[in-house]
Amino acid sequence: MREFELLQPKTLPDALDALAQNDAARRPLGGGTDLLVDLRAKRVQPDVLIALQKVNELRGVARVNGHVRVGASTPIAEFLKHPLLTPYRALHQAASVFANPMIRNAGTIGGNIGSASPAGDTLPPLLALDAQIELVSASGTRTLALDDFFLGPRKTARNANELIYAIQLPAKENSSATRSCFYKLGLRQADAISLVSVAVWLAREGEKIRDVRIALGAVAPRPLRAKRAEEILRGQIFSETNLKEAARIAAAECSPIDDLRASAKYRRRMVNVYTRRMLEQAWQNL
Amino acid sequence: MDKKTIHLTLNGEAREWRVYPNELLLNTLREQEFLTGTKYGCGIGECGACTVHVNGAPRLACLTLALACEGADILTIEGLARDGKLDAVQEAFLGQSAFQCGFCTSDMIMMTRALLNENPQPTETQVRDYLRGNLCRCTGYASIVRAALDAAEMERQETA
Repeated sequence: MREFELLQPKTLPDALDALAQNDAARRPLGGGTDLLVDLRAKRVQPDVLIALQKVNELRGVARVNGHVRVGASTPIAEFLKHPLLTPYRALHQAASVFANPMIRNAGTIGGNIGSASPAGDTLPPLLALDAQIELVSASGTRTLALDDFFLGPRKTARNANELIYAIQLPAKENSSATRSCFYKLGLRQADAISLVSVAVWLAREGEKIRDVRIALGAVAPRPLRAKRAEEILRGQIFSETNLKEAARIAAAECSPIDDLRASAKYRRRMVNVYTRRMLEQAWQNL
Repeated sequence: MDKKTIHLTLNGEAREWRVYPNELLLNTLREQEFLTGTKYGCGIGECGACTVHVNGAPRLACLTLALACEGADILTIEGLARDGKLDAVQEAFLGQSAFQCGFCTSDMIMMTRALLNENPQPTETQVRDYLRGNLCRCTGYASIVRAALDAAEMERQETA
């Protein structure tokens, strides 16, 4: 493997100092489950890795100002255990099918977001749950909607001198009139990369859909909100006709590719099928 | 790049290692400690052959930098038997002859041990789900799953 220097800062200021060179040859290292694989395949060539696992400020799950704040270094395994996170069902479901227990113990939520793979398992649930992302640099923090963070395959709005600090999950998901769910379609049950994944968040008011968010994975250059499909449903009666139309539009909104796992045509068809199924599942559980 | 010194606990004993910044835990275990029970399979986190316990949790040694293990408590297959007595999981694998070529045996045993530490009475579905990232290319899963359930039963009877 390529030679590099490994820095292991113990505080956030030290980690930001180490990054402050603003130099592409410096890379933050989370759990290493993506970055070490990329390093060995020579897809990235950093001179310095800045390991974040010893930085306490980046860890932990807490309720802050009405939302749940999850530190970037929180391992995926925590999503299956932490009582503050279990109400976020779509995210919990994604964590339960995320790779395997060894990878979940190492891989972090900040890493999954920062890698920005179009197929990242936690990304559609986070988009459907309307997560915000906090970025931190030596000059301060900034918060943006996660939807504005993804720019393309492995491209994000993070500047080279910034770290992903935390994600914020809005508390409204906890209320009884909302529900989220997630499905990942792979070629096998375990350790599969998604062909298609769909996350849905739905708020019910009587027989109407008060609000809805639909997010799609592995069918566009970035994890995608199906916003035109959402528009079809928002404020409308939950009906067979509306559901069919929303699923059809979601399939039209994405831009899947042909690759060795599936054809674009199949992926688009599955977006239609699973968007509809997830909407039905969320509604039926309300 | 120069080697650096770290201190850690390996199979219950204190260790001082000199390791390169780009050295993987898997290589240190196999080439410096000669603990070759932990296997080098795919090297990219897809087969589970290099599963060890780091601070009590199963981790892939092929995706762990040795230098990041300062202060860690590491358990490999060689440290599982205590005072010459095999762990219940090892006994159960013997009882079921839960191996064909044997390449995945260390990781299957370490993973089953981790499962029973977390969940002492798993269902068959829970066993299969927990072992999802550990591949047996001989496809000998049926006896491995039976062995895991046997080990749980043996430990239940011991504590009863």
